[in-house]
Amino acid sequence: MKFLHTKLANGLEIVGELNESALSMACCYLVKTGACDETPEISGVSHFLEHMVFKGTGRRSAEDINFEFNELGGRKSAGASLENTTYEGRVLPECQTRLIDLLTDMMRPALRNEDFDIEKKVILEEIAKGKDDPFHFAYWTAQELFANGHPLGNRILGTTESISALERRQMISYFERQYSPGNMTVALTGAFDWDAAVRQIDELTRDWEPFDVERETPKIEFGSGIKVVQNEQFSGEYLAWRWPGFVLNDERRYAADILADVLTSSAGSCLYWDLMEPGIANAALMQHSAEDQYGAFEAYVICSPERAGEVVQKVQDILKDVVENGVSEDDIESVKQEYVLGIALSCETPMGRLEALATRWTYLGEYIDADESIDRILAVTKEDVEALLTEDLFAKGALAAVGPLETLDV
Amino acid sequence: MTNQEVLTHTFSNGLTLAGAELPAVRTASFRLLMPTGAAGDPSGKEGLLNLLTELCFRSAGYHMEYRVSEEMLCFSETVMSDNLENALDLAADIVLRPALNPKELESERSQALQYLAQLEDDPEDNVFVHLDRAYFTNEYGRPQRGTEESLQSLTADDMAEAHKTRFKPAGAILSVAGRFDWERLKDAVEARFGSWEGSPPPLPKPERRADGCYVHIEQDTEQTHICVAYAAEPPGHPNYYASYIATDVLSSWGGRLQSEIREKRGLAYTVDAGNCSIKGCGYVIAYAATTSDRAQETLDTLIGELKRLAEGVTEEELERSRASILPNIVMNGESTSARAAAAASDLFYLGRVRSLEEIRKQYEAVNPASIAAHLREFPPENFTVAAIGPRRLEMPA
Repeated sequence: MKFLHTKLANGLEIVGELNESALSMACCYLVKTGACDETPEISGVSHFLEHMVFKGTGRRSAEDINFEFNELGGRKSAGASLENTTYEGRVLPECQTRLIDLLTDMMRPALRNEDFDIEKKVILEEIAKGKDDPFHFAYWTAQELFANGHPLGNRILGTTESISALERRQMISYFERQYSPGNMTVALTGAFDWDAAVRQIDELTRDWEPFDVERETPKIEFGSGIKVVQNEQFSGEYLAWRWPGFVLNDERRYAADILADVLTSSAGSCLYWDLMEPGIANAALMQHSAEDQYGAFEAYVICSPERAGEVVQKVQDILKDVVENGVSEDDIESVKQEYVLGIALSCETPMGRLEALATRWTYLGEYIDADESIDRILAVTKEDVEALLTEDLFAKGALAAVGPLETLDV
Repeated sequence: MTNQEVLTHTFSNGLTLAGAELPAVRTASFRLLMPTGAAGDPSGKEGLLNLLTELCFRSAGYHMEYRVSEEMLCFSETVMSDNLENALDLAADIVLRPALNPKELESERSQALQYLAQLEDDPEDNVFVHLDRAYFTNEYGRPQRGTEESLQSLTADDMAEAHKTRFKPAGAILSVAGRFDWERLKDAVEARFGSWEGSPPPLPKPERRADGCYVHIEQDTEQTHICVAYAAEPPGHPNYYASYIATDVLSSWGGRLQSEIREKRGLAYTVDAGNCSIKGCGYVIAYAATTSDRAQETLDTLIGELKRLAEGVTEEELERSRASILPNIVMNGESTSARAAAAASDLFYLGRVRSLEEIRKQYEAVNPASIAAHLREFPPENFTVAAIGPRRLEMPA
C-alpha cells in the first residue's frame, strides 16, 4: 500500500492509500463538523444537512443522485457524528471519475425549500424510531449526564422540538459557516488513479471559496451520578455507563482500548463470566472510544428490572477488582490478536480503510499503514495497561437506567 | 476475475467442503452449515435448537457467530489464516463433542427468557416474528426462539437427544474463503470431521397461507411497524433472477418504495423490501415504519406500490437494476466472510456454487418478457400483513 497526499489551493486536502490489487476503489469526503458544533437552536442540523446533501445540487435532482449511486453499484453511505460528517461511496475502478464527480458535486447542495420540508418529516420519523429503541434512549441519557452541559452531549438527531422549529435559512447559514474546503478531507482507498483524481477534484472545486472555520472546544467538566428515566413502554432495564477515558491524540488510548476489551471479550471477560454466564444479564459489553475532544469508557448492560441493582453492584465490583488486581498477560494477548485480525480484515476492502485514513489525517495529520497499526497494538504491554489502573480511573462514572424502574437502589 | 474459482469436495459422510482461495488476503473465513433448523424442533419444544447451540458454546467456553433459521444452523468464524486449523479444532469440539453440562442449562434458559422479554421492547424485530406466525401455517410459523412455556419445558435430555440426532454431517456444508492451501485444508477437515457419521431427520416442508390476512399487535409505540409478505420464486426457479430484479425495482435507492414513501411523502425513515427463501419456497418481505397517525397512509402507499408492480417495470428500471446488481456482487466478493457465506448458500439451495460469469449471464438474460412471466406466476397480491403499533390499520381494498 502506498500513501499519497496533496493540498489544493483552496485548502482542500486529499489523501490516498493505494492498493492496486483491490477490486474496487472507495472515496469519501470527511467534513470536520458535527453535533458538537451546534447550539441548542439548531440541534440536529448537521445530521439533517447530511440528508439534504442527497436531495440535489445545482446540476442534479435527488432522483439523479439516487439513480447514479445505484447505477454505479456503489454502496453509498453517509453519517453525522458528534465531531464529523462523512459521505462515502465505493465503485469498480472504472467508475472512479463518476463517483468523484457525484460526491464532489454533492458537497455544494441546492438545499431547496420543498425538499427541506419533506425531509424534515423523514428526520422526525428517524427521531421517533429512536424513541422506540431503549438502547438509543439509554445511550443518549448517559451521554448527556456525562457531558454535563458540554456540546458533546448534543443529540446527533436533534429533538422533535428543535427539528420542527428549524428553518432552512438556519441550515444555509450553518452550511456557509462549516463547509469550507479547508474544513474537509477527501480520502481515497483501493485501486484508484491518483493523478486523475487530484486533477478532477481540483477542477471541480476551483471556485469553492475558502474561509476560516473555528471549532470551539470548551473545557469538559465530566458529569457523574445516576439518572433513572422511567419508561414503562420497555420491559427490560437498559443500563449505560460513561467514565472519562483518553483522547485520540493520547498514546495511552491503545492501552485503554485493550483494557475495555479485556473486560468485555468472551475469552477472559469478567463482564461475560460474572453477568452473562450466570444469566443475570442478557447483554453486557464495554468499550473505549477515543475522539478528538474526549475519550470515554462506555459500558452497556441489558437485564431484568429486578436485577438491575445487583448488576450495578457487580459492575462496580468488577472494576474495583481490575483496578486492584490488574489484568492477565493471557487476556491482553488474546485481545491484541483480535485487534490484529480486525486490522487485517479492514485491509481486505477499500471501504474498510477509508474512515480510519480520513479521520487520522484530519485530526492527527498523520498516516500509518496497516503494519504500523498492528505494531502499535502489539507494542502495548501489561505494564502499559496497568499504568492506567489508578484509583481514579473508574471513580467518577455517569450511569443511565432506562426501563420500568422509577429508582435504582445501589 | 482470476480468484472466483470455488473448489468442492464431498466426504464419504456427506459433508461437502467448498474452498475459495484468495491469496491476497491474510485471513480465512469459514461457515459450517448444518441442514437442521428451528422447524425441526418438536412441538411444544420451540426454541430448542437455539438454546442447544448456546449451550454448546458455553460448554466449550468459546463463542463464535451463529445463526439459526427455520431450515439451517450456521456457525461462522474469521481468523488470521495461520489460525484456521485451530479454529476448525474449536468448531469440531463445539459441534461434535459439546459437554452440554446440565447445570449450565438453567442460566442459558434464563438468558433465553430474558431475550423473549426484550423482544417485546424491540417492535422492529418483533414484527417479523408475528409476520412469520401469520404467513406460515405449519412448523415454519412458530417462534424460533420459543415461548416462555416451551423454554420452561426444555430438559437436559432434550438437549442431549437433539444433539445426538440433529447435528449430523449428511447434507452439511463447510465453506472456506481466504488464504489457505486446498489440499491441506481437505486433509485438515477430514482429520477433524471425517469420523462424524449420520443424517439428520428431514425437516417438514413449509406451508403458507394463500389468501392473505392482516394481524395487528397493539402496543404503545411511537412508530407503527408494518411488514408484508407475498409469494415469489425460490432460488433455482428459472424465473428467480427476474423476481429478484422486480423486487430490486421496488427496494433499490431511488426505487419505487423509497421514492414514493420516503422521498415524495416523507412518510418513513426506513422502507425496504427483499426476496427471502426457504428451500422450494420463495417470498418477498417489505417493511416500513411510520409515526402512528401517518401509518395508514404508509400502508396504503406501500400496498399500492406492490400492486402497481403487477403492471410491469419500465425498460429504464430494468436496465438500472441490472447495472447495479453486478458490480455489487463483485465488490461484495472482496470480503472473505461474504464469499464463504455465498458459497454455502449456493450449495445449500442449488447443490452447486455458481460462477460469477453464470450470475452475470442470468441477470443479463432478464428481459421484460421474463419479468412479465414472473408477475404472471407470482403476482404481488394476497398480502399477509403484520403491524405493531397503537392503532389497528385498515387493509386497503
